[in-house]
Amino acid sequence: MSADLPEMPDDDDDLMAGEYVLRLLSPDIERAMDRRVIDDPVFAARVRDWEARLAPMADELEDIPPAAQTRRALLTTLGGAPASTTRRWWLGTGLGLATLAALVVISPIPSLLQGPEFGAQIASTDGTLRFDATVTGDELVLARLEGGPRPGRALELWLIADGAPAPVSLGVLPETDSARIALSPDLVAQLTGAALAVSDEPPGGSPTGAPTGEVLAAAALIAL
Amino acid sequence: MTTRGDIETLIARTALRDRTAFAALYDATSGKLLAVCHSVLKDRQEAEDTLQEVFLRVWNKADRYAVTGHSPMTWLITVARNIAIDRLRARQKAQTGKVGSETDVLPDTRPGPEAATIAASESRRIVACLRELPGDRANAVRGAYLEGKSYSDLAARFDVPLNTMRTWLRRSLQSLRECMSR
Repeated sequence: MSADLPEMPDDDDDLMAGEYVLRLLSPDIERAMDRRVIDDPVFAARVRDWEARLAPMADELEDIPPAAQTRRALLTTLGGAPASTTRRWWLGTGLGLATLAALVVISPIPSLLQGPEFGAQIASTDGTLRFDATVTGDELVLARLEGGPRPGRALELWLIADGAPAPVSLGVLPETDSARIALSPDLVAQLTGAALAVSDEPPGGSPTGAPTGEVLAAAALIAL
Repeated sequence: MTTRGDIETLIARTALRDRTAFAALYDATSGKLLAVCHSVLKDRQEAEDTLQEVFLRVWNKADRYAVTGHSPMTWLITVARNIAIDRLRARQKAQTGKVGSETDVLPDTRPGPEAATIAASESRRIVACLRELPGDRANAVRGAYLEGKSYSDLAARFDVPLNTMRTWLRRSLQSLRECMSR
């Protein structure tokens, strides 16, 4: 593509950056521009601006859920056991527990690994409440990264096992930034395919043994 | 829905070799990124293979994300699209012996701050600005961005000489830039 530089020569460099981002330049010129991006901060900034301007075009594309096999192969390549099939990372206020249970039922688990370990990042949709959970052996460690209970209210943690009829309370969360929760052998056996959820409850926790308030955040436990 | 902040956090944790975060990042974004790969490659299996390569790149380069100054989806889409186009060019080269392109085109070492986000408003903005272009010009831009078409592909598709296509594209870029800065 040896087209001559057209109109508006002072503008040319920015349009060249745009063509570079679109991948319209010939291989030789593209290679030269690869180097320029590294050496020339002004040109690099032009390239970034075009990337940012154009990337939202991808919103026109309908998402395509990848095959479960792709996820497994990827995680295996990274050197660990595959987690599960198409486990969605979902977050949600307003997600009913029934929905939760329905979601986690989906995954028949390929047998895994030595030393099971699970993780979950539990976050509300607006990100104002975030926890990081890990399970090692029979101990669940919950680190509070963001947020806390509403004034005069408490936060309660729930385990929703795969196929379980109801969530099981793992207790009211303390004010501290992290909590260690011992899991009974019975619960440990149910972690695969399970999800964790945090609900808004009265002080002292749910009086009924089932969540009574809004489910503020939830996430599937991911096998690592 | 996963928010921008969530995805940013997941990328940051991926940079720290947190596999939970990486798996969650995959679950939150792989549908869009597969769509990007498929739009370029038009072949489901090749797109899935490419998606794996994209996420391996993300795993290995997550620590570079911050320096791009991009919104997380801009960065991920840019990575995915560039790798998919590399594949497309390599395939074309293998088929025709004609122009391919470098395999490692995405410069990861971009310095500096600045840049925009893919907020909903941003997305509507480019859609609105594309609408201001004559229909075939907008479709040429889409063909280049979403399908990785070259100038000669586009010239053939719209049945105009190569130089005319280049003029179209460059004028369209000027119009888009002007429209989006309003």
